[in-house]
Amino acid sequence: MKPLLSYQWTTAIIGLMIALVILFLIRRDILHVKRSLWWIGIALLIVFMGFFPLQIAQFGVLLGVNYPPILILTIGMGFILIKILSMDLERSRQERTLRRLTQKIAMLEGLQKEAKAVEKIELMTQGEKLNDTNNRSDI
Amino acid sequence: MRGSSLAVLIPAWNEEATVADVVSKIREVGPYDVIVINDASTDQTADRADAAGAKVLNLPVNLGAWGATQTGIRFALKKGYRQVITMDADGQHLSSAIPHLMAPIAAQKADVVIGSCTERGSHARKLAWRFFRGMTGLEIEDLTSGFRAYDLPAMKMLASKKATLLEYQDIGVLLLLMNSGLRIQEMKVPMRLRLSGSSKIFSSWFKVAEYLLLTLILCTSHFMKVKSHLYVSNRGTL
Repeated sequence: MKPLLSYQWTTAIIGLMIALVILFLIRRDILHVKRSLWWIGIALLIVFMGFFPLQIAQFGVLLGVNYPPILILTIGMGFILIKILSMDLERSRQERTLRRLTQKIAMLEGLQKEAKAVEKIELMTQGEKLNDTNNRSDI
Repeated sequence: MRGSSLAVLIPAWNEEATVADVVSKIREVGPYDVIVINDASTDQTADRADAAGAKVLNLPVNLGAWGATQTGIRFALKKGYRQVITMDADGQHLSSAIPHLMAPIAAQKADVVIGSCTERGSHARKLAWRFFRGMTGLEIEDLTSGFRAYDLPAMKMLASKKATLLEYQDIGVLLLLMNSGLRIQEMKVPMRLRLSGSSKIFSSWFKVAEYLLLTLILCTSHFMKVKSHLYVSNRGTL
């Protein structure tokens, strides 16, 4: 069967699609921008590997890897990438929750400190009033 | 006890050398309530700020400058403040500019006022700002200034969950405000050199590179999203 696309275009499209998905996820505030560096890097690497297959093959030969049916591995790697990305999304969600909880602790402590200060002032005022009453009754 | 409807928020991380002076100078300018958000400092920042008369919120873990600022905004909303000013704790921002920064908000001409001072940036920083302005369509000269005034709608937007995962109070915050239809005005203000230490965000070349890369990705992800007609075109000057 004649291939629809060349190997270069297939990997370039995969790489660009990953990059677009990452940018979309950041735009929708689902993925923390800090986590995106890795994914954009992966996408660029895939595009690079697609456009320079000869160099990659030479590199493989250098390392002693020369096995054609690599497609299954590529597909498997794709699924692993999807799984890890979903874990990063979950991590971003948890990070948001954790940050807001941390902020809430600081806010609650601040409010508690204020309430204690008010309580202290009220107690002092009550004490002064009580003293005044006692003094008057002494007189 | 509440003194005014305006709170001045100061995120601070290990700023014991300057924070008390910054708080005192603000209190000399007007009866503003000063809230210092101690971003898990390991020095005497919280005690110094407290002694100078500020209300201190202590974050149990370090959230970064924006995380601390957002804590202050959320607290201010809870306490019923209707406007906030954010200032750096390193003494770069002059408290005398606070009334000028608040004027457009009091006159309901803007929701956000940015105190800008582009003279302070190096050539490389100015080049980066120009690049990011071109990418985002933001017509703001000083994209990283932490000296800003926000009104109630802006506070509500910045306190939302949407703003929680942002890293810095710069382009991400501006894009969020802009896309929410809020009016942003820039006002030139004098600033001075930091009284001590160096920039926490740009403490090394690695951090500068990380900042530039993250901002580039953020800008790319928001490409074509900015509604540029929402700008307040007339820039004020102090």
